[in-house]
Amino acid sequence: MIRLQGIRKAFGKNEVLKGIDLTVDKGEVVAILGPSGSGKTTLLRCINYLEKPSDGEISIDEFAVNCRKPAKKDIHALRRKTAMVFQQYNLFRHKTALENVMEGLVVVKKLPKAEARRKSVELLEKVGLGDKLDAYPSRLSGGQQQRVGIARALALNPEVILFDEPTSALDPELVGEVLAVIRKIAKEGITMIIVTHEMSFAQEVANHIVFMEGGTVVEEGPPKTIFRSPKEERTRQFLARFTSDSAYSI
Amino acid sequence: MKLDIPFIWTALVSLLPAVPTTLKITAVSVLCGFAIGTAVALCRMYRVPALHRIAAAYVTVIRGTPMLTHLLILYFAIPLAVDGLADRYGLAFRSAQIPMIGFAYLSFSITAGAYLSEVVRSGLLAVNKGQMEAAHAVGMTTVQGLRRIVFPQAFAAALPNLTNSLIGMLHGSTLAFTVSVVDINAQAEILATTNWKFFEAYLAAALLFWGMTVLIERLSALLERRVTRYNRGGVA
Amino acid sequence: MGAKFDIQYVFEYFVKLLPFVQISLVIVASSILLGLLFGLLAALPRLYRVPVLQRLSGIYASFFRGTPILIQLFLFYYGLPEALKLIHIDVSRLPVLSFVILVYGLHSGAYVSEGIRAAVTAVDRGQVEAAYAVGMSGFKAFTRIVFPQALAIAVPILANLVIATLKDTSLAFTLGVMELTGKSQTLATISRHFIESYIALAAVYFILSVVLERLFLHLERRMLKYERETGKSKRSLLRNKRLERSANTSVALSKGGTGA
Repeated sequence: MIRLQGIRKAFGKNEVLKGIDLTVDKGEVVAILGPSGSGKTTLLRCINYLEKPSDGEISIDEFAVNCRKPAKKDIHALRRKTAMVFQQYNLFRHKTALENVMEGLVVVKKLPKAEARRKSVELLEKVGLGDKLDAYPSRLSGGQQQRVGIARALALNPEVILFDEPTSALDPELVGEVLAVIRKIAKEGITMIIVTHEMSFAQEVANHIVFMEGGTVVEEGPPKTIFRSPKEERTRQFLARFTSDSAYSI
Repeated sequence: MKLDIPFIWTALVSLLPAVPTTLKITAVSVLCGFAIGTAVALCRMYRVPALHRIAAAYVTVIRGTPMLTHLLILYFAIPLAVDGLADRYGLAFRSAQIPMIGFAYLSFSITAGAYLSEVVRSGLLAVNKGQMEAAHAVGMTTVQGLRRIVFPQAFAAALPNLTNSLIGMLHGSTLAFTVSVVDINAQAEILATTNWKFFEAYLAAALLFWGMTVLIERLSALLERRVTRYNRGGVA
Repeated sequence: MGAKFDIQYVFEYFVKLLPFVQISLVIVASSILLGLLFGLLAALPRLYRVPVLQRLSGIYASFFRGTPILIQLFLFYYGLPEALKLIHIDVSRLPVLSFVILVYGLHSGAYVSEGIRAAVTAVDRGQVEAAYAVGMSGFKAFTRIVFPQALAIAVPILANLVIATLKDTSLAFTLGVMELTGKSQTLATISRHFIESYIALAAVYFILSVVLERLFLHLERRMLKYERETGKSKRSLLRNKRLERSANTSVALSKGGTGA
């Protein structure tokens, strides 16, 4: 179980997160929605400390990090329990698809090379890239790169995978293949937190929706409630823009 | 021999009269070099028949050889050519009438031209092709598009490299001493040998060059901030 | 002032100069090695923002990039023995060559330190984030992800520096070192065939530059194989693309190598 308590983050005077509380149960798929600038990506990046929260507490099961005075090894431990899929993929440019997936296993998890390799091949096959093992990122399409990114995250066997707008940088025709992979692993009971603009995808895959605006959580609940009968006016306004036409947003 | 600190100041003051010579050599070589470089770059980019091959060879050869060799070759080749022509056509002009600094001007301009052609070329290539298309689309001619749209952006992109070349030529101007031009470096040597204070004299010269270099860098940074205003990052 | 031009001398002198290639290359190689050491030492405090030290290395880089190599040669050759005499160390017996290598080493070190800084900062920030996200420590992220990529970025910068240093060694003759330029002057003064001698000299330098250029291109291709999208890459001789790249990353560090 992941628990965020009173997470705050300010860039200079600009307070981006104004005390966020959030609980994610094991196996749950949470989608964070909201207009741009609402702080959803910042919140996600706080969870593995790519952004340093100014205040609050992050806990995963029994393990807790006090954001007021985090120890270096705690940050490290937090990152080992989480994995992230980036908007810009961020595959290691000088490593092949296979090496990208193996890197964390060998360096961080200290797995023997052969075992890391076996596991990585398996995962790349799972995301449909069994034939691209030795390709460098520069030779892969955006969709393929992102699928490698997902395999890299899966390999670490984390408590939770954080998805930061995983399809926003993709050409529309490549979005489908990435969503299909995410859908597939969502069914396997892996805990996931997804920041996304793909409303219908969120509705379909997530079992919990969080709507953020202006650095606070406006409303949260199961997709049915949020999408069909939101309590808050702001949620209704935001969703109206997407549901009026069935088009996927950008 | 003791270190004579006050002499550093004395030397600095006595070096000042040589500063204009250094600056003149630098300015002439960079300006002429820029003109040569632009012509060469355009020849290469627009693949002007025959000329673009010559241009490419010029750039490759000059950049592949030390600046000193350019100066030395010209210093001996020009009199040979000038006097040869004068003999043939019975002219009164003699190579001895060419001032020494003329060799520096000519040779360094040729050197600078090759380096600057690459700077100009990369600057022009840095401008997105769509810019020219857009200029045409709003009805500009190619010349207008180059002058009003492409060049300003190319200049901004090339500024750091231009500054580098300018500093390179400033430092390179010290080679002029080999053809007996009294620039800062030669003046420092005179001071050093007449007073037998080598360290102090060259330290003063170094400080002078350092100061000028830092000044150029600062000015260029200021200029860069102005000309790249349009490029200031969009998102936070 | 010279004898009549005779192309035969160019070939003759070219051959006579060849044995002196070695000494020029020795100067280049030792000063680049020394420069890599100085450059790394100077870059680290600036990358890690060590107080005081980062200022010192900033001044070091600024001075050696901000003054002509010719002045530096004179300053150290004449100045260093005097300065060291003050603390009772006598270096006046050291061979000239050691001063030359020291000065070229310090000079190139300044460019190396800027190059290292530029290369490290040129690596995309997302790469570090991804490394952290898979659980690497800062040290591991640097050694496994940032450094290998920075190294590949640094190869053209290094190539530029090596070729520039080669051209700069033509100034070592001013201190009386018998390298290529010094030898060609001796040859010329004896026979009065100046132009021929200097053309031969230029030819030797040119061939050396082109060979070095090729070697580095080869190295760069191998190291950057992961960046090539279409297999064939378009490159022309004497690093045009390098200039473009340094312009793109707004890295104002290309050492002109004007020979001064």
